[in-house]
Amino acid sequence: MTVPTLSVSDLTVSSPFADLLHGISFDIAEGERVGLIGESGSGKSLTATSVMGLLPETLTATGAIRLNGVDADLLTAPERRLNQLRGRTMAMVFQEPMTALNPLMRVGAQVAEIMTVHHTETGRRRARQRAVELLALVKLPNPAEAALAFPHQLSGGQRQRVMLAMAMANDPQLLLCDEPTTALDVTVQAEVLKLIGNLVTERGTALLLITHDIAVVAEVCQRVLVMYQGEIVEDGPVGRVLTAPQHPYTQKLIAASDLSSVDDRGRLHTMSMPVVGRPPVAVSAPRQVHADAAAAVIRPPHRAAHQRLEPGGPPVIFNEVTGAPAISVRDLSRQYRRRGGALFAPAPIVHGLRDVSFDVAEGQRFGIVGESGSGKSTLMRILCALDQPTTGTVDVLGQPIAGASERHLRDFRSRVQIVFQDPMGSLDPRMKVRDIVAEPLRNVNRAESLARVEAQLNAVGLDIDVMNRHPHQFSGGQRQRISIARALITRPRVLVADEAVSALDVSVRAQVLNLLADLVDQYQLTLVFVSHDLGVIRHLCDTVAVISDGRIVECGPTADVYDGPLHAYTRQLVSATPSMDELARRVAP
Amino acid sequence: MVLVVLRRIGVFATTVVVASIVTFLLLSILPGNAARIALGVQASEADVAAQATLMGLDRPAIVRYLDWFGHVLIGDFGTSTVSRQPIGPEITDALGITVILVLTSVVLALLFAIPFGILTAVRQRKPDGAILSGISQIGVAVPGFLAGMLLVTVFAVTLRWLPAGGWVDPGEDVGGFLEHLILPAIALGSVQGAVLSRYVRSSVLEVMREDFIRTARAKGLGAGRALFRHGLRNAAVPVMTVLGLQIATLLVGAVVIERVFSIPGLGSLLLDKVALRDLPAVQGIVLVLVVFVLALNFLVDLAFTMIDPRLRSAT
Repeated sequence: MTVPTLSVSDLTVSSPFADLLHGISFDIAEGERVGLIGESGSGKSLTATSVMGLLPETLTATGAIRLNGVDADLLTAPERRLNQLRGRTMAMVFQEPMTALNPLMRVGAQVAEIMTVHHTETGRRRARQRAVELLALVKLPNPAEAALAFPHQLSGGQRQRVMLAMAMANDPQLLLCDEPTTALDVTVQAEVLKLIGNLVTERGTALLLITHDIAVVAEVCQRVLVMYQGEIVEDGPVGRVLTAPQHPYTQKLIAASDLSSVDDRGRLHTMSMPVVGRPPVAVSAPRQVHADAAAAVIRPPHRAAHQRLEPGGPPVIFNEVTGAPAISVRDLSRQYRRRGGALFAPAPIVHGLRDVSFDVAEGQRFGIVGESGSGKSTLMRILCALDQPTTGTVDVLGQPIAGASERHLRDFRSRVQIVFQDPMGSLDPRMKVRDIVAEPLRNVNRAESLARVEAQLNAVGLDIDVMNRHPHQFSGGQRQRISIARALITRPRVLVADEAVSALDVSVRAQVLNLLADLVDQYQLTLVFVSHDLGVIRHLCDTVAVISDGRIVECGPTADVYDGPLHAYTRQLVSATPSMDELARRVAP
Repeated sequence: MVLVVLRRIGVFATTVVVASIVTFLLLSILPGNAARIALGVQASEADVAAQATLMGLDRPAIVRYLDWFGHVLIGDFGTSTVSRQPIGPEITDALGITVILVLTSVVLALLFAIPFGILTAVRQRKPDGAILSGISQIGVAVPGFLAGMLLVTVFAVTLRWLPAGGWVDPGEDVGGFLEHLILPAIALGSVQGAVLSRYVRSSVLEVMREDFIRTARAKGLGAGRALFRHGLRNAAVPVMTVLGLQIATLLVGAVVIERVFSIPGLGSLLLDKVALRDLPAVQGIVLVLVVFVLALNFLVDLAFTMIDPRLRSAT
């Protein structure tokens, strides 16, 4: 057997307080493509930064890391030697395409720099020429022009291509990618992954691909390492690990990732992770709520018609509801004026939304799926009266909200509540949980407010002793439970969730989705769930609208849209997010 | 790019006009009759009335403003009510001195703050970094006039190396000019330098944590090279913001420092004219000071645009 490209043995990384990696060992053979999966905090990124020798000063590493067997242990190698290896023998692509490039430097120059630093290209001009060739290699349109662009002029996917061009510039033997596609839209993600796979395969580069997403590993890798709490718990060919996982953690991880598989109670498989307090069980609060929410009328569930927007055809009213829909949107358009351009010329108009018409029936679980820039967030903000439409009407619970004043919306605000994406950013770090959850309440005395906060925290599966803590003391999943408690405390009739589980790990995601599903049933809510993730919407929603370029292009019952997409864009979206079954079929040996 | 610069020039010109209106209004709503102030309390009513006509005070405010600002635009600040001399040349002379003093102190402050701030940032966890950082904290706390008096005590009174005050025109004697410039410039710049070095430090610390610095390290650049090639320009952006804000403080400081060192700059002139109740002169000097601050801020804004490409397309 030949010498492995990367050999890590007994790597331990410790902070002054605890061990973060517990003696992990693995090899990567020449040209081998290895995935490293695990949840946040499991030590994936630490592994990669240890290999690159870029650990923060406060951490210490022991063990041995060898490149090609020839080099001395990288952990003890002098900084000068590491500088020679980084960017030449091993290169790395990071997660954040928005911040990983120097904003003040043209991207071509940034690609050229890695060659001049290592003297692999003689002269600045030659390096710049090569940079353009590399940008062409990563399939950036107009590479010569792109080389002169600054990072803010490129999209996330384009920037990640630039990072990749940079990493591949000196033909490294080892490429490390840390969540390279996590921040990208699904269709862009698929393209970038394909590109990474093709590049390393053509050039025989060994790959270590870090991700939390099993689908990404299945797409690109041959072998997969599963990390859990600083240890590698499973190591095997992708096909085997996916179809027959050995370690209990891997089994649970794969089950929790699979949003199409549910247990006999129709709930997602979750992982037994420690949660503060008791698991969500029926508690006292919801009973009270039933009495409050008197408007909930039992009626036959509304079933949407499956329709699509014909290219160039007339606007369509999607999911039209007879009677009184919970939400009714007609001919909604939202335009923005972009600043800049000529000195006195009118600012160019950007169309955020164009002629959008749809209904949401009472009690419906309505999903809105689209990629960044599609207009889904604008639509969400308008539905919550956080933004105003340029033209068109929006009625929520029978009340027109387009153009309504804040005073008239006071009642509306308590009946329509929102759960935002970022569980950290949307909670005030200086407020205690009890105050955060109680904040939407008005005209309620202290004792009652406290009682309702307690009941609400219970309902979302949090113990009441969390009340006096601050948001930073909670994990992402717990924070999202707090957000949900805050949203439900006014007993709303409509709940709008904006990417409510996108920032969560798979195991926690399954828990929060189960919780949301339970609460929507208990409280008889109308749910509008906005997401880029088809899988999540498929699990949670009965109806889905696909939004692209400011228009709803297709809408219908979720299963129908999935199994028989009518619009080309939907087809593209569906094929970019394969289900676990499909993945297993694809990687089957 | 050209458009952005043109737009900034437009903003600058507009601000100057607004500033002139505010200056004019503030001084004309001051209590008391300008004509009586000019003649003194003993003057007769008839003399005051005649003086008012002479000064054009009987005309409507808008006419007086346009007359004044129109003349200011061609460099005519009017006539002093005290010395009966044109005010313009006096202001220009004093302005020249203040500009030299302020710019020298800015340069000194930057020469100190940039290396010192970077050093304290890079050596953050080392004992020397902590000590240096503590020293700059003290510097922030020392007011400029105190620094000036201390400098005079040490270098002029005790050591007798440098003059304690006064001014020599560079046209007359370059050596003397520098001797007279150095202490006031240090006194004025020291506080600004200490404040700036705090900002340079925090800005560099911030930038060292940026993802693109990690990218640069991953490319094979050493820590120092990564910071110099990719970090400093990025760190400069917030420091420039502070510098722009500090310029106004510097001018206020200059008024005090010119007093301490008896330098015939704009600050001294302003205080003299206020004491003499020479309203046309005060009005002119205040306007010049305001325009000076605006002009420096305009230059800082332009520098921003040069440094940060993101500002070239936006707004």
